[in-house]
Amino acid sequence: MGNSKHLGLFLLAPAGIFVILFFLAPVVLTGVFGFTNMSTATGITGGSYMVSESAMRPLRSRFGEDALADQLSKRIYTIDEEGLQAAAEAGGDAAALTELRSNFFNESFGNRREVETAIKSLNARPSTTRGIKIISAQFVKSVINVRFDTFEELLTSIADFGIELSDDQIEALADVTYTGWTFTLQNFKTMVELPDTRKTLINTLFYVFTTLILFNTGFALVLSISTHYMPTGPAGFFRSIWLLPRVTPPVLYVLMWKWLAWDTGFLSVILEPMGFAPRNWMLDSPTNAWVFIILINGIVGASMGMLIFSSAIKAIPASLFHASEVDGATRRQQIWHIILPQLRWPILFITIYQTLSLLTSFEYILLATDGGPGGATEVWALSTYLKALQNYGGALQYGYGAALSLVLVVIGISVSLIYLKLFDFKNLTAPPKIE
Amino acid sequence: MSGNYRTWPTLVFLSVLTAPLILMYSYLFVDTITNTPPGSVIPNEFTLEHWRFLTETIPGRPSIWLATWNTFVFATVTMVIVLMVSSSAGYALSRLQLPARSFFLGGIMVLHAFPTVTLLIAIFLILQMLGLYNSLAGVILVKTALELPFGIWIMKGFYDTVPWEIEMAGIQDGATRFQVWTKLVLPQVKPAILALGIFSFLSGWSEFILPLVLAPDNNVQVLSVYLAALIADDQNFDMALFKSVGVFYVIPVIVLFVFFQNRLMNIYSGGTKG
Amino acid sequence: MRILLDKFTKKFGNLTVIDEMDLEIHDGEMIALLGGSGCGKSTTLFAICGIHKVNGGRILFGDKDVTNVTSQERNVGVVFQSFALYPHMSVEQNIGFPLKLRKESQSEIKRKVDEIAEMVHIENLLQRRPGELSGGQQQRVALARALIRRPDVLLLDEPLANLDATLRLEMRSEIRRIQRETGITAVLVTHDQTEAMSMCDRIAIMDAGKIVQITEPKDMYDNPVSDFVAGFLGSPPIAFLSGQIKDGNFIEPSTKTKIPLSGNITKNHNGRNVRIGVRPEFFQPGSGITIGGKVTFIESQGRETLFNVTLSNGTILRSIQGKRSESKIGDQVEWGIDAQKILVFDEDGARL
Repeated sequence: MGNSKHLGLFLLAPAGIFVILFFLAPVVLTGVFGFTNMSTATGITGGSYMVSESAMRPLRSRFGEDALADQLSKRIYTIDEEGLQAAAEAGGDAAALTELRSNFFNESFGNRREVETAIKSLNARPSTTRGIKIISAQFVKSVINVRFDTFEELLTSIADFGIELSDDQIEALADVTYTGWTFTLQNFKTMVELPDTRKTLINTLFYVFTTLILFNTGFALVLSISTHYMPTGPAGFFRSIWLLPRVTPPVLYVLMWKWLAWDTGFLSVILEPMGFAPRNWMLDSPTNAWVFIILINGIVGASMGMLIFSSAIKAIPASLFHASEVDGATRRQQIWHIILPQLRWPILFITIYQTLSLLTSFEYILLATDGGPGGATEVWALSTYLKALQNYGGALQYGYGAALSLVLVVIGISVSLIYLKLFDFKNLTAPPKIE
Repeated sequence: MSGNYRTWPTLVFLSVLTAPLILMYSYLFVDTITNTPPGSVIPNEFTLEHWRFLTETIPGRPSIWLATWNTFVFATVTMVIVLMVSSSAGYALSRLQLPARSFFLGGIMVLHAFPTVTLLIAIFLILQMLGLYNSLAGVILVKTALELPFGIWIMKGFYDTVPWEIEMAGIQDGATRFQVWTKLVLPQVKPAILALGIFSFLSGWSEFILPLVLAPDNNVQVLSVYLAALIADDQNFDMALFKSVGVFYVIPVIVLFVFFQNRLMNIYSGGTKG
Repeated sequence: MRILLDKFTKKFGNLTVIDEMDLEIHDGEMIALLGGSGCGKSTTLFAICGIHKVNGGRILFGDKDVTNVTSQERNVGVVFQSFALYPHMSVEQNIGFPLKLRKESQSEIKRKVDEIAEMVHIENLLQRRPGELSGGQQQRVALARALIRRPDVLLLDEPLANLDATLRLEMRSEIRRIQRETGITAVLVTHDQTEAMSMCDRIAIMDAGKIVQITEPKDMYDNPVSDFVAGFLGSPPIAFLSGQIKDGNFIEPSTKTKIPLSGNITKNHNGRNVRIGVRPEFFQPGSGITIGGKVTFIESQGRETLFNVTLSNGTILRSIQGKRSESKIGDQVEWGIDAQKILVFDEDGARL
């Protein structure tokens, strides 16, 4: 069966390509980007070189090259062929230009006023200030705010400008004028230093464990055990109803909660006669916001536990229930001694799986509160998204976002490996029976 | 279930817990065809005006039909690719001799548990680099990739239940491994393909974050992003309109859910059981 | 077609399951590979059909070396324990599948399917699905599918294990009839000695990856090479007595019973500790050399009755008696052993 090996690889190849492109590459790139200052300002691909105001600041402060910075920032005016031609094209007075060439050719001036004084000194000087300005503007020479694709081009241009650079200066200049992203540890320093990080972390832990305990396992157990003690008809009905939130598209599901909570919504209308002022219940206080966030996520999360626990309960032999009833067990004792021991593994599984998914998913929070009010419900995953991908006018901080993500990716990989350990992996990899 | 315990207490208990959910879903549908006076929760008139978005394009938004078409293309193409790739890869992992087979299997399991949404930023940048940002093709590829570990896992599980002897018999009858797969084994896992297909379609239809981040433009907008943008627009707050768009959006989901409920229940739980 | 396994070796990982096995199957013969689970009989079958690769040695079909020929090209028909019918195809499609893969014409396939269906008596079932058939019918379909290509050899892997008792009896003779009619070389893998004895020309009995003995059923029953073979064949099973050879006799120590042994056994083994095997039909009241014990168990099997007689040292002898016997549990009896029919084994279990 020599071809079977190749067939296997052939059948696996498409999946492999997807995995490499959209799992392995992103994992590696998240790692790489986390150590860069990539943002909308630096662009994603390589950058260019530019002597700009913001580049001169570090040149002074970090390298102490004030003199060089001054020189580079200067604009000078030189009467040369190029400028004369440009002036002619711009509509400068022809006679004035001819005279300018003969009197001042190759002369430089430190600023525009000096050039204009020179133009005014001409016999054929233009009659209007505007005429003078049209001409003077054409002779400006500067490297500032000009984009160069390579550093060599920038150096050539600086040399043309008449500035000579030492090797140290070249190195410093290469550093400060690069506009693309560079590698840095700054993201992680920021992460540790910012008080927001701490708050987000506490939010995350609170959110994950509360939802997990109350709903994803707790309420899921309530649902599966209570439907177990029902005739099949109602049991199926309730399971379907509680599966609905998982099946409903998130945008619509959260919309229904918004309808419940907004200031002219259901809760406000119902509660107003009882003396509660109408308000947006979801966003009026951090406590209420959390209640809604946990309900919204918890009800979706409970359905998965419900299904898994239900099928585990169904797998318990009926004779076990009958025997315990004959032995005189109450329902509570039956739950405690027969059902719960059988659910140990499913509960462990759900706990691990849902910890990961709660830790990393932010869809419902984004739609419901967007982290509000005032960042009260901003969890780690959402913060990652907000920093890197949601643009409210500010720059998208890809690098910082990736660094935040990296923390989750590392946790994700570790927990996934634990998950792998918990399964009967050996059984899983039993060799094929056809050789 | 047995005759020794009374059932009505559990029925009452669960009915009380379930009532708010039923209320929310009921109002979702009722509000799309009625008007309710302010300060009341009881509708007082029947109307179809909330559904006018079907014929009039809402200013600043793409046409609902374009968004519907985009959503349909997104969900269908995702489903087809997921089915093709998972059914072939699942078979290879379940049945064929592979170099580093246990590595692949472990990899799929890790990916299955791995929270892919953490990779969003990197994926966003990759699509930018590939020039697939703001295209349906790009977001389809990403969605497919993220669905694959689950799909492969499900398919592998189903292939595992097909008796080896069927394959051995096929080989003895002179079939190649490829023929064994297509002619003998695939027909045995039809239920799995149906279930996974419905699951992937629904998953694509409901997807929000990926299109939001990777393809937000009006001409490639899907219904989830359309609806979210509508809701986020503070200038035109119209809950009944939102709900109507939402109901329009959710119709295929409800239909599939009603018809294939049991299969979906299996896949929602079975897929993650390992 | 003659099948030859020449120094066939099979390993799973580091574990050698079968080490340099030689086996020749004659043309047109039906042979049984008999043994308990894990003895390597199925592994041998899978090697013959090519589902398992061989780690050493050769497999020859006729004069052709097929060791490295794929299953698809080996032309072997297999009937699996579970029958392995394709559930999504009708009986007709199932049987015709091998021919369809060979791209034979529709009419040709139809003709051959009808022909073989008639032979296995399933003409009226052709349009059904496997799920609608009884176990015996499925078995017939599986046979038809295995035979339609006119394979060089037919392999049967525990074909009767999934059938109930009455069907098993019927299919035993049916399989044998079909094998005779087609004249095909056949290999039956089974753990059931009755099946092996009743269906096959020869039996190869296997233990721990080795063929212990290969011969005709009757000969194997009468002349087992070891206590293992003797114990495997026969129901109810043979009973063993430990003792010593002394001066041409076997001495049972607890009862001091002397059983004379034939000269060529005693000649070289005087004083040796041995075990003798006594089959239930050769331990009967009123004949041979009597030995005393207590009846401890009686099982009526209808036509016959089985007695366990426990000697004073706890050894159990079995007796199967056709005539109605008056003995009851607890009775002290003195029954006779037919000295001509006892089998003598040394300490290692080898026949003397």
